[in-house]
Amino acid sequence: MKFRHRTAAPEPDPDPEPAESSQEQPNRPERSRRPRQRSAERRGTKGVERPWIDPRDLWAEALSGVLARPVRSALTTLGTVLGIGTLVITIGVASTAANQIVGRFDALTATSVTVVVPPPPPSSDTAPLVDWPGVDAVDRLAGVETSAALAESDDTSALQVRANDVITPGVLSSQTLAVVAASPSLPAAVRGDILVGRFYDTGDIARHDRVAVLGDQAARLLGIKEVDDAPAVFFNGHSFTVIGILGGFKREQRLSTSVILPPTTAKDRVGLDEVSRVLVNTSLGAAQQVARQAPVALAPNSAGALTVLSPPDLSKARKGVQGDVNGLFLVLGLVSLIVGAIGIANVTLVTVMERVGEIGLRRALGASRRQVAGQFLTESTTIGLLGGVIGAALGMVVVVSVSAIRDWTPVLDARLALGAPVAGAVVGLLAGVYPALRASRLEPVEALRAPS
Amino acid sequence: MSEPLAHSDTPDDDVIRLTGVNRTFDSDPPVHALRDVDLAVRRGEHLSIVGPSGSGKSTLLNTLGLLDRPSSGAYWLDGVETATLTDRQRTSLRGSRIGFVFQAFHLLPYRTVEENVMLAEIYRKTRPGRDRRSRAKRARAALDRVGLSQRHGFRPDRLSGGERQRVAIARALMSDPALLLCDEPTGNLDSENTFSVLELFDELCAQGMTLVVITHDEAVSRRANRRVRISDGQLSQEIV
Ligand SMILES: Nc1ncnc2c1ncn2[C@@H]1O[C@H](COP(=O)(O)OP(=O)(O)O)[C@@H](O)[C@H]1O
Ligand SMILES: [Mg+2]
Repeated sequence: MKFRHRTAAPEPDPDPEPAESSQEQPNRPERSRRPRQRSAERRGTKGVERPWIDPRDLWAEALSGVLARPVRSALTTLGTVLGIGTLVITIGVASTAANQIVGRFDALTATSVTVVVPPPPPSSDTAPLVDWPGVDAVDRLAGVETSAALAESDDTSALQVRANDVITPGVLSSQTLAVVAASPSLPAAVRGDILVGRFYDTGDIARHDRVAVLGDQAARLLGIKEVDDAPAVFFNGHSFTVIGILGGFKREQRLSTSVILPPTTAKDRVGLDEVSRVLVNTSLGAAQQVARQAPVALAPNSAGALTVLSPPDLSKARKGVQGDVNGLFLVLGLVSLIVGAIGIANVTLVTVMERVGEIGLRRALGASRRQVAGQFLTESTTIGLLGGVIGAALGMVVVVSVSAIRDWTPVLDARLALGAPVAGAVVGLLAGVYPALRASRLEPVEALRAPS
Repeated sequence: MSEPLAHSDTPDDDVIRLTGVNRTFDSDPPVHALRDVDLAVRRGEHLSIVGPSGSGKSTLLNTLGLLDRPSSGAYWLDGVETATLTDRQRTSLRGSRIGFVFQAFHLLPYRTVEENVMLAEIYRKTRPGRDRRSRAKRARAALDRVGLSQRHGFRPDRLSGGERQRVAIARALMSDPALLLCDEPTGNLDSENTFSVLELFDELCAQGMTLVVITHDEAVSRRANRRVRISDGQLSQEIV
């Protein structure tokens, strides 16, 4: 009965590791364990080191453990690849799309304000709501970069226009085109380019010159390519010298098929006098404010009669897009990640059970419970990291491809690119906790019975 | 049988000293696997422990190897009283003082012979003259000692049983242990391979290694300079 009253019982040590063969330990007296423990440690630790492993060795062991079963490890990463990939695609496509929508607004709509002037009631002699010099008032508003007034009417929207030099005899080069009048600032206001010649200036307007600028489509229809030889166009019985061709319209594209006249000339020759539209380009973010102020600036007494076309509020649009795209797919990605984590946990557990003999051997070679747990944690973390890297890479390829197809600029956040693999590693780490604990709890004696 | 199993005259020279060690398993019914065992093994000694199956040989070896704790009694390993050590201390003492050779070899099948041997050193702090970079060289030297230096790049499954056991012995030698504990080292080997392993034991013994070989094979135990017999958990001296 000697074993029932041991004298120098080892204590449940301060060390967190459970005592080996703890289930087989006889009951020990509870008294005075602390002093005895301390003195025992002082004696016992003489010449006894602490278990220690070089991080490089831990990494090498874990890596060779992962690579020992390459197909299994590759398949185990799949869940994480899917999860991380979905998240990267979701976030990447969402921010790319949001950027795209915002970008489009920025370039065109976001800074475009149009004021529509209603036609005056017929047979009334009241002064027009907006007159040509009055348009200058808009330019003085804060945030306005360019503006131009435009006069169109139903009477001039479809005139028979003919070029003077008939290139092919017998072919009538008469075309149905719109004739409009516009301020000299029109090229800037429509963000167009003078392709040939020049636009009319204030001098032309003041002199009531019979000059015209053609929209690029109108010029093509009329067969006019050059203005050096002063080609002319005829309509309403008048001839006008073509001094330039305007193209590259970013707004009011319909003007590309029109003949553009100086306001004075238009009033004289075709009776086109009333301003029907004012085009305003604002600086970024000023559109809303300009839209509110422009009618008052144009027609101080009857601002309410004017209609303003302004872009929607941007910040709302951006949030809306991101919110819509993200919600569902984020959930999908997170679910895939959880499935991936369960997969890693499962396979790591199987691996632990298959390697019981190896664990016993490592314990016999001096590996502590923590080192055994550390190895399996490192292995599962490596698998998670691998899944994260592959998932992030695939996700980015998809984001870039989608962007290329849609002709978008891909937006890939550096935080996303670096965070995704880290997220994969964290998934692997968490998934490895339970298998690692199981591995570390194995008793060396029991473990060594299993074949290695 | 009258000679005491423990030498008490020069305790510092004892690599192993067990006094009054008991080990009982709380199974149903309880098994008293070791009964009042006293044993001392001197440095450089080649001791064999023989006994029939189920007599407690493995339990004794697990106790000696710090893989298991005795239920009572004292065990000094290389001058350190082990009963009061914490689990971690026992683990590192095991890693630094004891080399194991198992019947089942316990080589990792997915690592080369050399990597298997190097495994013995990774769980310890590097000591002077034993840094990581020269580890492969030391593994080759250990393989050289067991006559397998030309096999260092092989995987264990390409080796014969005797070669595998010699790799396991090289791994045990790698950590420069005070004691080599062998549990039925030839249990899985044919007579030819058994012979090569036993020859190796003789060489190691001649080089001063302390060997404790557990076996149920009389032919194996005859090689030792001292034999003890275990039956039903009790040790008895045998005069060679
Ligand atoms: N964990 C255990 N629980 C209960 N009984 C055990 C345990 N381990 C060994 N035994 C018993 O202890 C005795 C000695 O076992 P062992 O030391 O393995 O014998 P040997 O190695 O000599 O064949 C046997 O009767 C065995 O059944
Ligand atoms: Mg046995």
